[in-house]
Amino acid sequence: MTGSGREPAGEPAGRGETGDQAGPRRAADELGVLLARVALGDEDAYAAVYDRTAGPVLGVVRAVVRDPAQSEEVVQEVLLDVWRSASRFDAQLGSASAWVMTLAHRRAVDRVRSEQKAADRERRVPSSAPAYDEVAEAVEARLDRERVRRCLASLTELQRESVTLAYYGGYTYRQVAELLGVAIGTVKTRMRDGLIRLRDCLGVDS
Amino acid sequence: MRSRGDRQAQPVHTLAGAYAMDAVSDAERVRFERHLSGCDACRQEVRGLREATAALGAAAAVRPPDALREKVLHAAAQTRQLPPSVPEPPAGRARDRRRLSWRPRIAVALGGAVAAVGVAVGAGVVTYDMQNRLDQAQGRDLTVAAVLTASDARMMSAPVSTGGTATVVMSHREHALVFTAAHLNSLPAAKRYELWLIGPDGARPAGMITASGRGRMVGPMVVSGLSAGDRIGMTVEPAAGSPRPTSPPVVMVSLAG
Repeated sequence: MTGSGREPAGEPAGRGETGDQAGPRRAADELGVLLARVALGDEDAYAAVYDRTAGPVLGVVRAVVRDPAQSEEVVQEVLLDVWRSASRFDAQLGSASAWVMTLAHRRAVDRVRSEQKAADRERRVPSSAPAYDEVAEAVEARLDRERVRRCLASLTELQRESVTLAYYGGYTYRQVAELLGVAIGTVKTRMRDGLIRLRDCLGVDS
Repeated sequence: MRSRGDRQAQPVHTLAGAYAMDAVSDAERVRFERHLSGCDACRQEVRGLREATAALGAAAAVRPPDALREKVLHAAAQTRQLPPSVPEPPAGRARDRRRLSWRPRIAVALGGAVAAVGVAVGAGVVTYDMQNRLDQAQGRDLTVAAVLTASDARMMSAPVSTGGTATVVMSHREHALVFTAAHLNSLPAAKRYELWLIGPDGARPAGMITASGRGRMVGPMVVSGLSAGDRIGMTVEPAAGSPRPTSPPVVMVSLAG
């Protein structure tokens, strides 16, 4: 099983030199090739895709959904979605892992939002939201990639909080603004600036 | 609520970060995707931001329970896969190129409805019932794509006499049309809109319209089996449907040509 134990290939990256990308990029290409075989109905290739993606998918889903049983349901939906729609993956539009992780995050967020809608009839969202520290701690305990941690640390505090709450917390930018007590427009730009900085730090822009 | 100053116009583009993290409402997502479709630089940016968010996700990886693997692989083996999206055929002849010019307009006219189909098709599957519905949606999706990309496709719009607008894209080559309507008046619960193909031999039922709650966007409905000389009309009928129209059409579009 890949996942928590696996170290990123190569030395810790600097700020986006392409030389650092050989390892991750080759892995990404492998996943793309596997997806192409999955699109043809290759179950062995699908098992290999599972082994490469189940850990990250479960990680992001659990960060957002929290409840273990529900998380597992969502993970099953996501991974089945990968099997079903492998033919729709287009390497021109991004890496295979970004495709899978986008599916995963979107589904996790859909799950919590539909539950929130039900809960909203009784109470306002922000009052039911966990405090930022709680979210950040739960996530940071699992961060096993030093590089991402370091890059997150290079963001301004507001950028980091905005990105963390949105991505791992599954909150909308309006909810993030409410939680942080910051203007909506500010949160919007911090999310974008933060992700741009993260992208440049990680050297993942393809 | 925060001060009004927060709402002052910002370039829609600043939403790219929130969008890449699914931190937008459904309506904002639709609006932003419309913006993306006309902005290469924005698509490129979102693509890069998504690589960054994928890295965030990967960093949170945990070891999945062993039993999950068996469950997922087993479910996959019993799940039908989607075919690739239908590519638009290359526009070779001059006539085809001229046809292309209105496609963006159709995309806008049908945008919400077609996107809705896409969402349904993209959803995962757990039950046979769901599978069936998805297969239907997918079949409809393919027909919609075939009609929209047909070299002889034509788009026509007409006002609905009781309110709203009907838009038809039809292809005689595909013997089919795609019908959508927007802003239809809501009907009492006992009534529904029904479509008809009206030819020299009378009217053939072409489908009941399921209006959404607020009667906004309807469709896309696929109507196949077009014959020469047909018109398409819409009437208000009892909710269970009628074998033939029982009221005058509220809209009628000629399909000649």
